[in-house]
Amino acid sequence: MERVDVRGEVCPRPALIVRDRLADLEGDALLVEGDYQPAKGNLTRTCSKHGYEVEDRSAADDDGFELVIRPRETGADDD
Amino acid sequence: MTDAAEEPTELTEYAELHGCSCKLGRGELDSLLTDVGITAPQSELICGVGEDASARRIGDDRTLVSTIDFFTPIVDDPYQFGRVAACNAASDAFAMGAWTDLTVLVVLGLPRTATDVATDLLSGIVDAVDEMGGVVAGGHTIMNPWPIAGGAVTAWTAEPSVLRTAAASPGERLYLTKPLGTQPAMGALRVEDGEFGRTVADGTTRPIGTIGEEALAWMTTPNRAAIEAAREFVTAATDVTGFGLAGQAKLLAENAGVGVSLTHLPVIEGTLELSRLFGYGLETGESAETSGGLLLTVPESGAGAFEAALSRADVFYREVGVVTDGSGVDLEDPTIEPIGR
Repeated sequence: MERVDVRGEVCPRPALIVRDRLADLEGDALLVEGDYQPAKGNLTRTCSKHGYEVEDRSAADDDGFELVIRPRETGADDD
Repeated sequence: MTDAAEEPTELTEYAELHGCSCKLGRGELDSLLTDVGITAPQSELICGVGEDASARRIGDDRTLVSTIDFFTPIVDDPYQFGRVAACNAASDAFAMGAWTDLTVLVVLGLPRTATDVATDLLSGIVDAVDEMGGVVAGGHTIMNPWPIAGGAVTAWTAEPSVLRTAAASPGERLYLTKPLGTQPAMGALRVEDGEFGRTVADGTTRPIGTIGEEALAWMTTPNRAAIEAAREFVTAATDVTGFGLAGQAKLLAENAGVGVSLTHLPVIEGTLELSRLFGYGLETGESAETSGGLLLTVPESGAGAFEAALSRADVFYREVGVVTDGSGVDLEDPTIEPIGR
């Protein structure tokens, strides 16, 4: 699976970095690793809004987060 | 990514969280207060924990309102940061209906390498307090890795009661006195010069600089004129902060045992598109606000007079929803109105 590491990045940069990676995505999913908690909610919100499914794979005892982002089957862009 | 060996050059680069978004979350705060046993109403006070400010009867005819608020840089300009911080700190007293003898003790923290901004920052606070008819009476200054600024604020009111969120009743109209969107506006300013400059500029039809200037103008607009004009007509009040409009409305709903239906969101023109780009949730009322407007409840019978009074005082307002006999916050497909200054 393709990965992008946004650890050390603060909002709004994680959303913009992930947006660029999703635009160039060749596989069927992108794993996002981050450590800035507000970015988790913001990424989930913007990706869901723009036609992606977001799966939270974060470990409960970890300060960071992991999200797996996949294009939705319909591929519809809500905007 | 910032090189750890490199000193930040801009004020906002020192902190990972900016403005009111550095607040501890609602859940964590509730848990902390439960841990130390500050949950029940405090008999010495009219109100305290859970409201915007504390209120205590002093003598027979006055109520002293006290509050403290400070946060990390929301803008790089230290003078403007000081102004925003002062407006934001005093807003909690205004939200309780108190503005007389406004007194501010400054809270200031700066990294050792950024102490050169202290004069401008403090000037911003002093000027804003002066504009609000208050006085800076002292303060406390420390060295701190993240810059922080704000103040402890007192003011009093002769009203027999203070304005509390708990007093909202079903059927009342809900008004907001500033448009939303400070978080996406400030976020865009932080990335407009970097690798994402083009993405952000293309993301909205207005220049990022214009959106930022308007957001700053709203953040440095004191809520004093709004509360003075509104006071006699409103039953409940709070100010919109890091919890966002929906979070603040939820707090009001819980405190008053009512529901809130949000139907209309005034937003700084251009910030809706930026919020969608950043995932800030402006269209769902979740985006954090810094030095936001007052959220006021007004009985239907007084709404006309309320609107006339705010218009006379040249204070912005929009009706944003209604208090219901339900619970929680309902925000179903609200109309979104872009506001340009």
